[in-house]
Amino acid sequence: MDRRTLLQSIALLPLLLASARGGAQDAAARWRRVEAVARGQSVYFNAWGGDSAINRYIAWAAGELDRRHGVRLVHVKVTDIAEAVTRLLAERAAGRAAGGSIDLLWLNGENFASLKEAGLLWGPWVQALPHAPLIDSSNPTTSIDMTLPTAGYEMPWGGARFTLLYDSARVALPPRTPAELRAWIEAHPGRFTYPQPPAFIGTSFLKQLLLLLVDDAAPFAAPPTPVAATQTGPLWAWLDATRPSLWRGGRAFPASGPAQRRLLADGEVDFALAFNPAEASRAIAAGELPATVRGLHFSGGALANSHFLAIPANARAKEGALVVADFLLSPGAQARKADERHWGDPTVLDVARLPPAEAAYFADLATGPATPSPPARLLPEPHPAWVGWLEAAWSRRYLGA
Amino acid sequence: MRNAGVIVLLAVALLPVAAGLAGLAGVDGNALREVLVAPGVRGALAISVTSGILATLVAVVLAHLLVAAAAGAGWLARLRAGMLPLLALPHLALGIGLVLVLAPSGLLLRLLSPWATGFTQPPGWVTVQDPAGLSLVAGLAIKETAFLVLALLAALAQVPAAGLLRSAQALGYPPRHAWLVAVAPLLARQTRLPVAAVLTYGVTNVDLALALGPRTPPPFAVLVWQWFTSGDLAARELALAGTLVLFAVTLAVLAAGAAFYRAASHAWRAWAATGQRSHLSGLALATPVAALLALLGFAAVAALLLRAVTGPAPFPAVVAPRIGMAVDPALLAAPLATTLALALATAGVALMLTLWAAEALAARSSARAQVAALLFVPLLLPQLAFLFGWQVLLARLRIDGLFVAVLWSHLVFALPYVWGVLAEARGGLDPRLPLVARTLGAGRGTAWWRVTAPLLLRSTLVAGALAMAVSAAVYLPTLFAGAGRVATLATEAAAAIASGNLQEAAAHAALQVVVPLTAFTAAAVASRCVFRDRRGVPG
Repeated sequence: MDRRTLLQSIALLPLLLASARGGAQDAAARWRRVEAVARGQSVYFNAWGGDSAINRYIAWAAGELDRRHGVRLVHVKVTDIAEAVTRLLAERAAGRAAGGSIDLLWLNGENFASLKEAGLLWGPWVQALPHAPLIDSSNPTTSIDMTLPTAGYEMPWGGARFTLLYDSARVALPPRTPAELRAWIEAHPGRFTYPQPPAFIGTSFLKQLLLLLVDDAAPFAAPPTPVAATQTGPLWAWLDATRPSLWRGGRAFPASGPAQRRLLADGEVDFALAFNPAEASRAIAAGELPATVRGLHFSGGALANSHFLAIPANARAKEGALVVADFLLSPGAQARKADERHWGDPTVLDVARLPPAEAAYFADLATGPATPSPPARLLPEPHPAWVGWLEAAWSRRYLGA
Repeated sequence: MRNAGVIVLLAVALLPVAAGLAGLAGVDGNALREVLVAPGVRGALAISVTSGILATLVAVVLAHLLVAAAAGAGWLARLRAGMLPLLALPHLALGIGLVLVLAPSGLLLRLLSPWATGFTQPPGWVTVQDPAGLSLVAGLAIKETAFLVLALLAALAQVPAAGLLRSAQALGYPPRHAWLVAVAPLLARQTRLPVAAVLTYGVTNVDLALALGPRTPPPFAVLVWQWFTSGDLAARELALAGTLVLFAVTLAVLAAGAAFYRAASHAWRAWAATGQRSHLSGLALATPVAALLALLGFAAVAALLLRAVTGPAPFPAVVAPRIGMAVDPALLAAPLATTLALALATAGVALMLTLWAAEALAARSSARAQVAALLFVPLLLPQLAFLFGWQVLLARLRIDGLFVAVLWSHLVFALPYVWGVLAEARGGLDPRLPLVARTLGAGRGTAWWRVTAPLLLRSTLVAGALAMAVSAAVYLPTLFAGAGRVATLATEAAAAIASGNLQEAAAHAALQVVVPLTAFTAAAVASRCVFRDRRGVPG
């Protein structure tokens, strides 16, 4: 059984690569073969399972995939994708080159860089998907994951833009630049905080500030160097200056983005941070945040990235994973995902290039009152090596002996 | 071979730990040095050690005084019933619940605002996550007092308490003093291993520390957990080295605890030998303190349930304007079924293994004690230290992600408790009873089935309920052994809490409490039904 999977996965790759080069008819025939093998497979999709709306969306996709393709999509809910990374490492330590426990993986940035570097990902495969030509190539984050080319090893699934949430009942004039935010914090001691790095959204806040505060963001597109490190000075000046006026005097921080959202909901602070522009609207609709909460992007631009799907090198059901990925990329599935009633996650497709019938899905999307209009600019992420550098530098300054 | 049962039992319990510790052998020396100079490490270690020791001290003292008071007043059964829900409550859920009560925006201040405090927005007070870790100590003390009370009650069944108490009282000791002089030292001796497990948990826990612990720096186990979950694979080396440090610190704290126990029991004997008699009325304070902690625990549950059905309310309102259960009951059905199946299977296999092994050691109490100590080893090690190596072992055996792997992981944590109750009960049986059956012509099997088994039924039911309770609570091992594919109430609640979805988390946590409560109730009802018409059958 495992040997068969191994042989298949070796056979599959050139087949798919050929489909990228060969004629359209060949490609269609090859894809039909992938679909035929996929029928009856179970695809174990390791994805963060903490959001009930996202879980419901994946459950919907599972129903559609079963109906249309006979593929059984199983959502393996992880609290942190690092659990899945640990599992892949354990499987490699146990010498399992095929028949692994993960078929499809939701990730981006540092985790992608690590797994690809360690040779734990299968690919390239994205160009073989029938819907791949619809991907919005004008958005650089769909093919460059935090400065690293995806090289067809991961498929963009959705977009993320750094968003500040604030309670408009208590913040009359929301700050739109780091300087205005600093002034607001100093005028309202104890009412602002950010999740403690290395919590994902806390580190992202550091990156967002950094890109807005420095004159030249170019050095951050490459791994950290001593020279580039000195250019982070404005970030630390900002953090040092605001720290005494933070919640708890900057001696405690919320453990995670959700923990800070609870502080906002309970009125302990007036701000929270999010990566999904629709988060405020969705949380209000779900009764998790007061109706007066609003989202905003910094006027200098929003830190932006995409989140992706990847297939481990030792996946058991690679054909099934391909079929699932292609379905999730289809305009129907992407439009439902972009709909705030279901998830509200920005699409990775170029809507302008869709046939009218499918473009219409996106025209009908409702936007909640708390969702900000799209950011003035998308600021691409720094090189992933800056994540660890920023976290370590932050810890040295603020963690104590 | 008579000892086959013992060998199988120990293999099941210790193989995972051995595999895990073998994984630690590969720790890189440079990574170890890096851990020791990482920012915040000294403070983090200090917080872990002090909060773990302080919480253990509080829990041990309170548990002893509570049991003494309950025994004197005849409400031991009620004490047990009161502690069970607290024991069954997942740590993570308790942590979040306590935050919802004690935070400046919590239930407590809302009930007092604005009429008494004048606050219309939460004050900038430091309550939970205080830098000294006191709120973490309170959270740990709530859970561990409940656990130790139940451990003491189990030990009470193995100690001739009533006779000792009568003798001491006949010698003129007032009741509370009599208990502390005559019974408490025996109970302390019997519960050394559970106390050690409490100490280990206090120093190494991640769940409660995330919700209640200080942040700059966080407790050491949280730092290690952050390295484990980092996207940077280089941080894994750091995490592995960090678990080794955590392991060493835990061993040092356990050794210190053992030394402290010896010194304390020496001092205790010296005190008892003075022959003073007093009412020790100052100790009566323990009951209100324990009641306060228990109240806090139940308030945390209430706050969590309130949040589950109403969502957040603007400060200082207690109840949100809109009320409605947002959780789809269908979502709960599958994890509930898996949790129940695992709990029943864990109880069944643990009971069979224990009964098999205990039969061989029925007449050898020191061997039983040695097995008990070995079975406790997994509870005395930081879970983080052996889970990765164990995962590798399961992957080698090609059973990771399967029900049987998760069952195995639950057995590791259930066996020490099942053994503690059932093997001791087997050892306590009058050896003449099966002997009489044999001389009357019954075969070995028949004698066991017709005489030994019925006499052990009550202990078997209690031990089985205990195993189910452990199985329902186990989180990290479920996640690691199950490859995330085996979704239980514990893993679903953790996933929901990780995302701040308190409504879903509370719903799962509430069900998680219901499973062990049902098991204990069923065990009690069943043993009452079976033994209605029998007298003198040991409990």
